Amino acid sequence: MYWLASGLLYRRVVSPFTKLDPRIKLLIAIEFFVLSLLASSVIGVAIIIASIVAVAAFARSLRRVGRTVAFSLIFATFIFVLNLWIGLGLLRSLTFALRFIAIIGSTSIFFITTSPDELEQIMKWMRIPRDVVFAFVTAVRFIPVVMLDAFQIMDAQKSRGLELEKGGLLSRVRNLIPVLIPLVVNSVIRSGELAEAMESRGYGSTPKPTSLYGMRLRWYDKAVLVLSLAVFVLALYIYHFYTFPF
Amino acid sequence: MASKGPEVPLLSVEGLSFSYLDSPRAALTDVNLKINRGEIVILAGQSGCGKSTLLRCVNGLIPHMYPGDYKGRIVVDGDVVAETPMGKLAQMVGFLFQNPENQIFMFSVERDIAFGLENQGLPRQEMRRRVDEVMGLLHIEPLALRPPHELSDGQKQRVALAGIIAMRPNLVILDEPTSLLDPKTASELVSLVSKLNKELGITFVIVEHRLELLTPIADRIVVMDKGRVVMEGTPTEVLTNPASSTHGLAIPPVFSLYSELAERGSRLPRAPLTPEEMAQELNAP
Repeated sequence: MYWLASGLLYRRVVSPFTKLDPRIKLLIAIEFFVLSLLASSVIGVAIIIASIVAVAAFARSLRRVGRTVAFSLIFATFIFVLNLWIGLGLLRSLTFALRFIAIIGSTSIFFITTSPDELEQIMKWMRIPRDVVFAFVTAVRFIPVVMLDAFQIMDAQKSRGLELEKGGLLSRVRNLIPVLIPLVVNSVIRSGELAEAMESRGYGSTPKPTSLYGMRLRWYDKAVLVLSLAVFVLALYIYHFYTFPF
Repeated sequence: MASKGPEVPLLSVEGLSFSYLDSPRAALTDVNLKINRGEIVILAGQSGCGKSTLLRCVNGLIPHMYPGDYKGRIVVDGDVVAETPMGKLAQMVGFLFQNPENQIFMFSVERDIAFGLENQGLPRQEMRRRVDEVMGLLHIEPLALRPPHELSDGQKQRVALAGIIAMRPNLVILDEPTSLLDPKTASELVSLVSKLNKELGITFVIVEHRLELLTPIADRIVVMDKGRVVMEGTPTEVLTNPASSTHGLAIPPVFSLYSELAERGSRLPRAPLTPEEMAQELNAP
């Protein structure tokens, strides 16, 4: 449980990739995403996965990206078996399964290397209304807090004799009710306190709030931008004019 | 300390009565209170006596956020609270709530300190300057880039306070600021309050049950009971008055000892505020 919770927390890693402008990171992720959708051969998808691994290593986040991909392996296996079963053949089934892994890998690279602060800036840059952005920000900010809350409630209920790990699937789900109700009540109280604190710090007092941080494309970002677009176009060219043997 | 005296008070509560919507009972009844610039005032009283309601009236959450039956008026720095928008009040009155966790919104300390300034729409250079200045003042520079879930309770409290001080309010309200802190961190907070009061001239209104922590730095104690202000005066005046214990205050031992000595006829020349001062007085020839 604690292990799962720690996976949801953003950890600041310093690497040449994480230092990129978040928009460039988003662009790279989208490029990988599009290429994975287009690739229709095992070799093609394998090359994309290899490039994703290379970028993840460059971003010093190989282990975290690997962990996310490991979770997706169950689904990839399911996709493989299902396609094989409906008679799509070994190679195509394998392509579909690998494509799924590539898609998960490309999106997780973005979310693992981008801090919530940067996500917020991208959302503002996309002109998403401030209230929506702020709701997103507080939701992410309070993930660890609510997690901790949940663990404390679990401990408290266990110490009163609640047996969470007992019984079949249905009774296990039912066992969670005494944890969920206090958790929801706590969160409602917390949201009231948050609203008071927001008002007290002048949230919404000006229609044009500013931000301590900003996004700026440096020469380094521009170079990566050009490079990634060039590789993307090259990949599209290969995809269009060259057929891999399998 | 900033200038004190009988000039125009920073905060004046005039005949304030309030009851929450759908509540038959009045939370505040005819409260009158004046607080001067540069004062540190303790607001004391049992839980449910109306302290929190009064404080929420002072920073405008009542009536702007919580409607109800509102009579009388509050003037802060020349502005009538009920007629002043929350955004302006936020710059005049800072409010440190009991749980610092629920006042930190952003993913890094420095960004959270800037939250109120962003809401004001200040330019980036000005925000940067103020954030750095406040972090220096509160000694939290090493935490600048830390996410809130990596901070201790004491650090969270400092960060929440920094976010308030950065908005440069004249009046800061602290609602039971030491309730989550260990004794050492609590006394550090008290010296910080004293420092901010001396260096920046900030006026403090502090709700606190552990009176002995704050009496050495407080100018006045205001005691509330059942929605009314029942006692008011210097810490010595209030805490050596036999009536104070009937309002549920935990009298610090220094004051009960002083009263006891006075009762037995050995009057000390000066009322002590701390055990150290008491020892000095007793050893004086």
